Amino acid sequence: MPSLKYFFINIVGTLLRGFPLPAKTGLRKIGNPDRSSPVFLTCNYAVSVERVKKALEGMDCYLLVANSNGINVWCASTGGHLSNHSAVSVLKTSGIEQLVDHRRVIFPQLAAAGIEAGVVRKKTGWHVIWGPVHAKDIPRFTQILEDGHRKDANMRMVKFPLLHRLEMAVMWAFPFSLILALLTYIFWRQMLILTVAASWIVPLFVFITFPLYSGLLTGKKGKNHGFYGNYGSYGSYPGPSKEPHVGRPLSGKLGISKYTVLFNIGWVSLILWLVFMLGVLPYSLAAGTLSLSLLLRWGFVSLSMMLLVNIDLMGSTPVYKSGLHEERLLKVMLDRERCTGCGICVDVCPRNCFSIEGRKAVITGSERCVQCSACIVQCPEDALYFASPLGKVLMPDTIRMYKLNMMGSRLKKGA
Amino acid sequence: MYVLMRILESSPERYDMGISVVTLGRIKPAYDRIASHIKCGMKVLDIGCGTGLLSIRMAERGALVRGIDINPAMLEIAKKRLKQSDMPEELKENVEFSEMGVAELSSVSEGSYDAATSTLCFSELSQDEIRFTLRELRRIIKPGGLLLIADETVPKNLVKRFVYALIRLPLVIVTYLITGTTTKSLREPALQIEEAGFAVESINMNGMESFTEIIARNPGSH
Repeated sequence: MPSLKYFFINIVGTLLRGFPLPAKTGLRKIGNPDRSSPVFLTCNYAVSVERVKKALEGMDCYLLVANSNGINVWCASTGGHLSNHSAVSVLKTSGIEQLVDHRRVIFPQLAAAGIEAGVVRKKTGWHVIWGPVHAKDIPRFTQILEDGHRKDANMRMVKFPLLHRLEMAVMWAFPFSLILALLTYIFWRQMLILTVAASWIVPLFVFITFPLYSGLLTGKKGKNHGFYGNYGSYGSYPGPSKEPHVGRPLSGKLGISKYTVLFNIGWVSLILWLVFMLGVLPYSLAAGTLSLSLLLRWGFVSLSMMLLVNIDLMGSTPVYKSGLHEERLLKVMLDRERCTGCGICVDVCPRNCFSIEGRKAVITGSERCVQCSACIVQCPEDALYFASPLGKVLMPDTIRMYKLNMMGSRLKKGA
Repeated sequence: MYVLMRILESSPERYDMGISVVTLGRIKPAYDRIASHIKCGMKVLDIGCGTGLLSIRMAERGALVRGIDINPAMLEIAKKRLKQSDMPEELKENVEFSEMGVAELSSVSEGSYDAATSTLCFSELSQDEIRFTLRELRRIIKPGGLLLIADETVPKNLVKRFVYALIRLPLVIVTYLITGTTTKSLREPALQIEEAGFAVESINMNGMESFTEIIARNPGSH
């Protein structure tokens, strides 16, 4: 039975998805573990802790909660909050070493961008096993582990199902509806309920209908959309290896692209907005309040809502790279001479971009890559690296040292 | 007041200018008082050295200092500061900054330091980490060696605690909104240090009891 706390934390966490929610770090006992029980690790985002605890119900094991400043595993590990230090600290100071005889710890797969298995091994003697992406797969994962198999592609893959899309919509809607409610209460009181309703309906609409237009976002047809200027004026993705790589041409030097002009999906968002506005007509007719000024006001409010939600629609999904800065769209490159085909990249990639063919890794799904950098961070042979469209190469050392943040300092340091 | 440190830490470039403003100039005298216990030739471990202000002060007095911190950006500033400081080159060579967390203290050999210092660092550690650190320090510091701590503390006096919470609350909220984290002030750090087996020699608090400096000695016998 999930506890009351589970529901409470899930509700608060869902409404305030964009904010950190720290839980206590350290050791949690699940069931009646003994000296050979499995050891799991997660971050100290309260929602994650509760969900992992629920997934572990009925098992006898230990759960280590590592410090991630209250941020979820994926964001914290790519952003430098869930680091080698967090993992080493909880392994050494929680007292787990006195409780079990083995030295195997199961990490969430999405921590692979932030915690280096090799460093943890060297500093603590603990052997890291990369678990599934989602906590709910843990019981099935432990079964697979016992049977000596590797986890399947489904368990490794980050997708964007309806439930997650709803969570993302609420992440936008809740804080913005509060802010808008306050503003409209002050400046335009009669619109209060309608604005709040709009700030919920628009994000819900955008995210629920996401699969209908998401195919248009990838641009995998290989052709450039109309907004790209300077066709091919920037070089191709470079690399230390000799093979030439043909890159995607970039927009003009002013940085104006389809991303900055029409926020990722361009006309799709405009169509969504028109549909929405057409809904306002019968509504205002029925309410007997139809007038030009009402339509203008509505048009303004809903268009700004739409643009707000679309500011970084791709970036707020887990399945696309952020579209805000084209010059930061990096590409994973493989140095085949270094690769030994160990398959760690396959194990940690949350988008199933890799496969092993003839004892070498092959990047088979680069269009799915979200540049989380987990493969590069974990590769024991340093055979993977990033290339930027402006001709920079980011080697594994740089990527391990400078985690992603909103200032893009990784790219600067890698110059 | 030190909750604002979090904001500053998120942008280490502005850290130093900000820290003196935020601490109302209180942190530098605290560094000076701590450094005054360090004598020429002593081996000192500075835990959570940050941008190296205390480490460099102690090195200027002729100590051999190792500063450790988990934030590589702060360590870069510390190294730059050391390079640019006007102390003699041979003294500069006595300072070493390395990226290392308290969990790795078990790799430091027994009795290898004459003193350990830690300023505004324990308040960022979990209780597990504090216990672990104190246990390791008992091993690492030579018998008779010093442990010098300065940190933010929760006032014992109820009235002061109320006033302190009142002042702190808005800062905590602002800091949380900007960085998503806050620091936890220490409760009874001196008691914890004593429980770990150190002999506390002096406890020095500001009027608000919100900032405490502790001098303790490792009695040696375990």
